[in-house]
Amino acid sequence: MRCRDGVFLSLLVGSFSFANGQTSGSDQLLPSVTIRGTTPERFSAGQKTQRIDSVTLEQFRFQTLTDVLSYTTPIAFKVYGAGQLSTASFRGTSANHTAVLWNGININQPTLGQTDFSTMPVAGFDQLAVQYGSSASCVGSDAVGGSILLMSNPRWKQPGFSASVGQQVASFRNLATHVGIRFVSPAGKKWQLAGKSFLYTTHSNNDFPYRERGNYFVERSLTNQKGFIQDLYLRNQKNQQFSVNVWVTDNDLVVTPYDTTVRERTLSQSYRFLTTYETNKLTLRLGWIRDRIDYARGNFNTPSHSETDRLISRIEREFTHTYHSAQLSFRVGGEWSHYRTQVDGYGDKPIQEDRADLYALLRMQFSRWLLSANVRQAFVTRYDPPLTPSLGAEFLILKNANNNLTAKTSAGRSYRVPTLNERYWKGLGNPNIRPENGFNLEAGLSARWFLHEKLTLSAEATAFRNRIDDWSYWNPESGYRVENLQLVVARGLEWSASLHHATNHWQWGLTAGYALTRSSQERVYNAYAQDIIGKQLVYVPKHTGRLSAHLARGKNRVTVQTQASSRRFITFDNSQYLRGYMLTNVLLETQVKLGPVESRIQGQVNNLFDTVYLNVKRNAMPGRNFAIQLICNLNTKKQ
Amino acid sequence: MKKTTTASAVRLKLALGLLVALNWSCNNDKDDPQALPYGSGVLVVNAGNFSDNNGTISFLPPSGSTATYDIFNQVNQRSLTGSLQGYTESDGKGVLLVDNTTAGQDKVEIVDANTFKSLATLKSPEIENPRSAVRVGANKVYVSCWDVSGDYSNGTFYKDPGYIAVVDLTTNTVIKKIPAVKGVESLLLAGTEVFAGSAGGSTKLTVIDATTDQVKTGIEIGANPNPVAVDANGKLWVYSSGELVRINVQSKAIENRLKIGTDKSRSLSKFQLSSDKQYFYFVSSFYGSAAENYKEKGELYRFSVNDTSVPATTPFIKRLFSGLAVEPTSGVIYGGFTPSYKQAGYVFRYQSNGTLIDSVKAEIAPSSFYFK
Repeated sequence: MRCRDGVFLSLLVGSFSFANGQTSGSDQLLPSVTIRGTTPERFSAGQKTQRIDSVTLEQFRFQTLTDVLSYTTPIAFKVYGAGQLSTASFRGTSANHTAVLWNGININQPTLGQTDFSTMPVAGFDQLAVQYGSSASCVGSDAVGGSILLMSNPRWKQPGFSASVGQQVASFRNLATHVGIRFVSPAGKKWQLAGKSFLYTTHSNNDFPYRERGNYFVERSLTNQKGFIQDLYLRNQKNQQFSVNVWVTDNDLVVTPYDTTVRERTLSQSYRFLTTYETNKLTLRLGWIRDRIDYARGNFNTPSHSETDRLISRIEREFTHTYHSAQLSFRVGGEWSHYRTQVDGYGDKPIQEDRADLYALLRMQFSRWLLSANVRQAFVTRYDPPLTPSLGAEFLILKNANNNLTAKTSAGRSYRVPTLNERYWKGLGNPNIRPENGFNLEAGLSARWFLHEKLTLSAEATAFRNRIDDWSYWNPESGYRVENLQLVVARGLEWSASLHHATNHWQWGLTAGYALTRSSQERVYNAYAQDIIGKQLVYVPKHTGRLSAHLARGKNRVTVQTQASSRRFITFDNSQYLRGYMLTNVLLETQVKLGPVESRIQGQVNNLFDTVYLNVKRNAMPGRNFAIQLICNLNTKKQ
Repeated sequence: MKKTTTASAVRLKLALGLLVALNWSCNNDKDDPQALPYGSGVLVVNAGNFSDNNGTISFLPPSGSTATYDIFNQVNQRSLTGSLQGYTESDGKGVLLVDNTTAGQDKVEIVDANTFKSLATLKSPEIENPRSAVRVGANKVYVSCWDVSGDYSNGTFYKDPGYIAVVDLTTNTVIKKIPAVKGVESLLLAGTEVFAGSAGGSTKLTVIDATTDQVKTGIEIGANPNPVAVDANGKLWVYSSGELVRINVQSKAIENRLKIGTDKSRSLSKFQLSSDKQYFYFVSSFYGSAAENYKEKGELYRFSVNDTSVPATTPFIKRLFSGLAVEPTSGVIYGGFTPSYKQAGYVFRYQSNGTLIDSVKAEIAPSSFYFK
């Protein structure tokens, strides 16, 4: 198909203009004092971690995680429609193989073992990082293809009070509003307090002026999204810190809203509370998460209900030692969670279970070497996950004033505790399902060149191979009952690069990325499996590419974002597919200061070329659309 | 410094220019292939996997065993976007019944029967949940429709009443909706009358005068009756919960009730007459044990229209078919086989004595056939 050629051409564009990657200007906003809450990153030597920079997050503030990640990472999303279910495929794995961590806690829905990224607004967190590859030893279950790390940030270094109001008006009568305050007490006192209260609402009427695009239907849906965030941090000069993080989300999706017989409503609510006490050496966490899903068709008064509570506790102790030039960190931890779930499909009685983890993480930093060795054992009621060790190494091949080059490699086992649905769903679930057994290998190079004082080029290339045996899935051959028949091997290459140039007045940058993902089923388990051996897994595009370019002068900035994806097969034997496509957005933004109020205005054209592309229900996604957003900040921060 | 800026701007422009070109090429992705003649051969109706909305039609030429896949898409550069429920032809036109997962997106595609070029699309609210189509006269086709379906667990799945859309193929429009029973299902033309079955709990077989499009007095049969065929003796057979009921087409009198098998765990389906109209073939299926992961199993059986009992204990062909048809002249049996709803199925061809001839790969869930 020509679209596939398009993908290659766009990569070409990326490569001759040096293309980019990911992380411009990310570092300046990282908390420089502590490295707390970043366990997966610190102990995953040899693995690729990508931080999404604050400018990009700000640009996507009124959009969802799906949007920001599909323009910045090779993660492929399986989207069911505008505002509808969106699940991730990371490095050729399934929706169950991406861990989503909020302040270090896995927030995948335990019933489904996945996160609906359409319910995760970018406004819900302060920092976003993506860790590539298995990191089961650091993260635990689900971290098979990779992990998405969402973090809150107290911004200790920016004392003062700020209030912000944001409003987005978009095509199709879609509206979004944000209101928030932040405060950080002055530093230098015995105690310092920081906090954030934030409220967001989104009303997506998706009132498309067309019923079809390119002879494909455009499905109507209504989405109302509400959320509340409360962060509170208290720390003293001894670096003891106590914090509370709260994130409540409510996502109300109605598909075919105007037909009262067939309309379908999915109401998803999550309540997430986390308290943390930290010192330099000790971390104690206590959390509670409740996930509710109500699904109804036709009559909304009698929904099918699912509710899961999790009580989470974690203790971690770190030992550090400096030996000559070597820094050693050794962290041991234990986790215990209690699950209680009540799902209509499981029967009348709630199901309860306990899960515990024990882990030990070692990080050794030498002048040129960074090594890590980790191990984790999980324990689950009526279930037996495997021991998961991992090893990683990074070697600084070259470091001088203008260049640095690092080689990385890692190997690790991974596992996934089957979802509650997979184990307990009456008739279809299978309590005796075996744990999946994954083994991930990867190696890469990352480099940064300061071409001259104002021009920086950075690039990273990674090759991986992830072998997952006893892959469990809802087998269509046996009426969608869960079985672990398959052996899946996912392998691929990832490349990203970014070029940045900054002068006193002008700034420009290009970032590009390409990923080749080959993920296939490799085991013959019946006569007709022959037709699916070696075939690309469904909904995993072989090629994905991204390109973004920006040009800024002073407070004005123009950004062009493009993502491209090759065809996605929808059948196991690759006999049918959804066509590849390329999408481009253009953003214009400026900042205006009126007295104490700083305003940021952004105008955005999505799907600039009005590309007709299909979601997994074979409906057309919306065409070219527009959004304008205004964010006003009242700031008393001392500059 | 200025120089760099210019270079960057040029590069940006270049990149943007290429993006435009690429997107343009994506939007104009139309290598119109030469329309193939689909004049004679076998059309395989592949239902598809319901939630994937990927039903298709494959074409098998009269000789040779190489299929052409998704011919509607090949000719029209767009897919059918739904589960395919049936296909029939009338006066040079093909009628495709498309059932989408989303209400309001079901449709009937009308194509040129020789080229498969789309001529018209009948959409909601004319067409909702199309189930079966039959030619009832020149340029006139009936399409049974359930209408919008609600929540199964709330008992509102079948709308009351369903309807039969009368499609005029000279104007390609629905000219009338004949109110019908809940879950109106299979249609069969015998003489000038159309017999309409039910999936929605009716016990009566609906009878419609195909010349006036008026509903006549129905025939009380039993749970969910569906017309099957008119045999060599001119008798109408109707299937209803485990038995085939023989009916006198003229008097509408029930002449015989033939019990098919005795095993209550089995479900019977896909009754098809042999080409000489002397035998019925049918599929008897059941679900395997827990150890077999409840996999669906089954076989093909055969009996004579003159048999007085049908024990259904000795299979005619030991394979579970998702679709069944008999080529009207040669008597060759076409059996659709579905390994799963996520991979292509096969069409097995057998001599009328049950000897396997060959197998051809089809598409997702081959469920019925149209011989032309």
